[in-house]
Amino acid sequence: METPLYLEERSLVKRFSGPLPILLNTIFVLALFYVTWWIFQDPRGIMRMYTPYVGYMWCRWLLVIMIWIAYIFDFWPFSRSWLRNTHPVLKGIVLTTLTVLLFAIVLKGFFETILGDYAIAYFSPERLQKEGVVEFWALEYSAQAILMFAAIASWLSPAWVVAMEGAPWDKLPQPVKGFSILMFTFFISVIVYFVAFHSHMAILFDPWQKFAAITPPWWENFADTVHGNFNIAWIMCCTVVVWLHETIWERYPFSMIENPWLRRTASFFGIIAIAVALSFFLYFAQELVWGEAIRGTKRDAAPDWRWLHVGEMAIFWLLPALYMHFYMKNGINRFSQTTNILLRTIASVLAAVVIYYVYYKTSHFFLGTQKGFSHPQQFPMIPLIWLINVMLINYWFMDGWPGWRLAQASEKAPVTHVSYSSATLSPSFYKGVIGGTLGGVVVYFVIIYMIPMMGSMLIIFK
Amino acid sequence: MSIENENTRRDFLKGAVTGLGFGTLATMGVFSYSSMRSFFLPQADRKMASFGACKSVKITNISETSWFDNATLMGDMKGAGGLLVDQYLYNWPPFGDGSGLAKGSYDKGMAKIKHLLPHKLEEAWEVVKTNSVHPENAGGFAALIEIERLDGVKKKYLLDSGWSYEWMDKAFKREGIDKMLANGEIEALILSHEHFDHFWGLPVTMKYAPNIKIIIPDGFYKEGLQYIKDSGHKGELVVFKKGKNDIEPGLCAYTFDVPIICRVFGEQSIFANVEGKGLVSISGCCHQGIIQFIATAKNELKYDNDQMYGIYGGLHISPFDDWDPKYDDLVISLGKWDFKTIGCNHCTGLLTAEKFVRAGYPVVKGTAQHRSKSHSYLGNGDTITFG
Repeated sequence: METPLYLEERSLVKRFSGPLPILLNTIFVLALFYVTWWIFQDPRGIMRMYTPYVGYMWCRWLLVIMIWIAYIFDFWPFSRSWLRNTHPVLKGIVLTTLTVLLFAIVLKGFFETILGDYAIAYFSPERLQKEGVVEFWALEYSAQAILMFAAIASWLSPAWVVAMEGAPWDKLPQPVKGFSILMFTFFISVIVYFVAFHSHMAILFDPWQKFAAITPPWWENFADTVHGNFNIAWIMCCTVVVWLHETIWERYPFSMIENPWLRRTASFFGIIAIAVALSFFLYFAQELVWGEAIRGTKRDAAPDWRWLHVGEMAIFWLLPALYMHFYMKNGINRFSQTTNILLRTIASVLAAVVIYYVYYKTSHFFLGTQKGFSHPQQFPMIPLIWLINVMLINYWFMDGWPGWRLAQASEKAPVTHVSYSSATLSPSFYKGVIGGTLGGVVVYFVIIYMIPMMGSMLIIFK
Repeated sequence: MSIENENTRRDFLKGAVTGLGFGTLATMGVFSYSSMRSFFLPQADRKMASFGACKSVKITNISETSWFDNATLMGDMKGAGGLLVDQYLYNWPPFGDGSGLAKGSYDKGMAKIKHLLPHKLEEAWEVVKTNSVHPENAGGFAALIEIERLDGVKKKYLLDSGWSYEWMDKAFKREGIDKMLANGEIEALILSHEHFDHFWGLPVTMKYAPNIKIIIPDGFYKEGLQYIKDSGHKGELVVFKKGKNDIEPGLCAYTFDVPIICRVFGEQSIFANVEGKGLVSISGCCHQGIIQFIATAKNELKYDNDQMYGIYGGLHISPFDDWDPKYDDLVISLGKWDFKTIGCNHCTGLLTAEKFVRAGYPVVKGTAQHRSKSHSYLGNGDTITFG
């Protein structure tokens, strides 16, 4: 019998009435974000890990480890009773500490020692230094490779639980289930890494490592760049779409497929298809506002940065979607499921546009970053993922404290699980799909007609 | 309405919303990166703005060695917290206050030397050496631009003023810049951007010509603006806004709103139109990117033969002996712009220059003298003439 995840079976209730819990948690999360940003990341702060790649690697891997703890291992080895009875703040401290410790093991043990010392030199900063790379770049290069692995893992790890429903290990007990999924997703991540990023790393060195990797990379002509940011674009979109699918989309429309393996396969590859479509669209959107990219340029005119910015824009969308899900119960629930999903999607996209505008307009005043859209050291993904990490600590590890708490048995509301049903697939539904699809084509062209106008209305830097 | 009709309506609506999402996403996937998208892209009309022409441009490389040991510089950057740290905090010369790496500030550093600027530079540099992080590593970038007008009259401009007072003063004397400044032969000092290695040697120029006109790009921070005053400048200060700014017939600057490492913002580079030859691009660091720079020229300016003719300066590709695959994009694509002469150095990076040579580009070799490290590019004291 499949055991629901702790995050699925727990029921959270507000500790205060009205909007106070949302306000409290927003303040708490932002305060925790800013304090930790200053301590660990800020170029003006204490540890200054935003070099940028070292800090970037840390925030990406902390995200992955949190996904492992909460989604893949379902908090094993912690018992349900410990999870239910321990104070949220203590839980948050213990589980966050565990996250950091696990990352230290992954970083030092797996990447820098096993891979870096015995297989592929660029994973080890010490090894790169021995080959003549100065310490700063040795750290940056190895961090870049390790974080690219994290980008893949932060897509595949949740995708296997959310889209593949943990199959075929879904009915196994922990930790067998966790290790099975971890090993398999890690195995696929290794393959995707070699296909998507190994060539990027191979041409970081002169001469190009043509006997160890495909050089120039296979995507060069299609992406108009040899840079691995092309793969960052669609992989980041995969990460974002997985979470949209799990949260504000309630696994719709794939939840309509009753056959489990068909549903899982359609979900897994459907997420990839949506992500690729999204990445192409976000690239096109930049061309509509800034003109065609010119290969060999730097900054916002360069194809490689445009692909990176695709991933960055996607993360701007993920932030409000997660916020809506965590602190507003998805925000819009009064209509039919599909209408709710449509309205949430629109609301989260609009919120993303606002956050994007505010971020670029103001972040350099308080994050220690540089003003401007593109910059070698301007990665909005770092602060945004850092903020998402803090939200996950708050919502996953701390049960939404201080605004929420775990429900007592007597006040527990029934937990709604995703239902997989095709009961409504009537002829009318299919007629609607046909009409809607045509409407979708029209909507697309209306959007791309409006994007240049929106771009000129929302001028961030004159 | 019957229940059946209501269900039919609901099913239709559910299908319609599902189809709406599907249709939008499918079109995104099929259309957005197809060749058909070019129909919707903004067409860049070439403005062909004329800025005159000159007979020739000669450039003397006063100094391209901004720092002498890359590992030392990168060690400082790593120790300070990376490439984003504000340059005035490093405790690098001349703003060292003795408190150590990454603990400095403009005000504390300047307080120790202000009374010595600009005329007691040797004494100031002794103070700097005792209070700064790695003063021996500081060099600087500066170049002399000599433009010959169509009527044969020659005019001189100084591009940047380097970093180390000691090194730049020697370099100025080596190339006779000190006398040119003192005699008022140089029309203006054009500061490409606020970076330490281009700007912090300003008192050396002020020592010889405190009344010289200074042209800076928009974007200097308050510390930079204060430093111009504290260095003893008494002449006109001109701030060039984003876009084209004429200097004289055949010579214009172009300012870019470009974010740069070490908390610097904005850079201006120079275009010269050489009669009968074409466009020459002259840059300090070219943080905006050389192809961005010349693509801008193609879109905005009119130049002879519609030909990209020459390049001089730092191209900011691999200044720290680092590499990134996007630099390969630049190396691969520079060829299509068909430059006839490439005089690169400084932050272009040795590896980039070597890759240019391997790609068959017309890179002018240097003499590797006065502490320049390689013959692969134009070194200190070398000259190049376009036209």
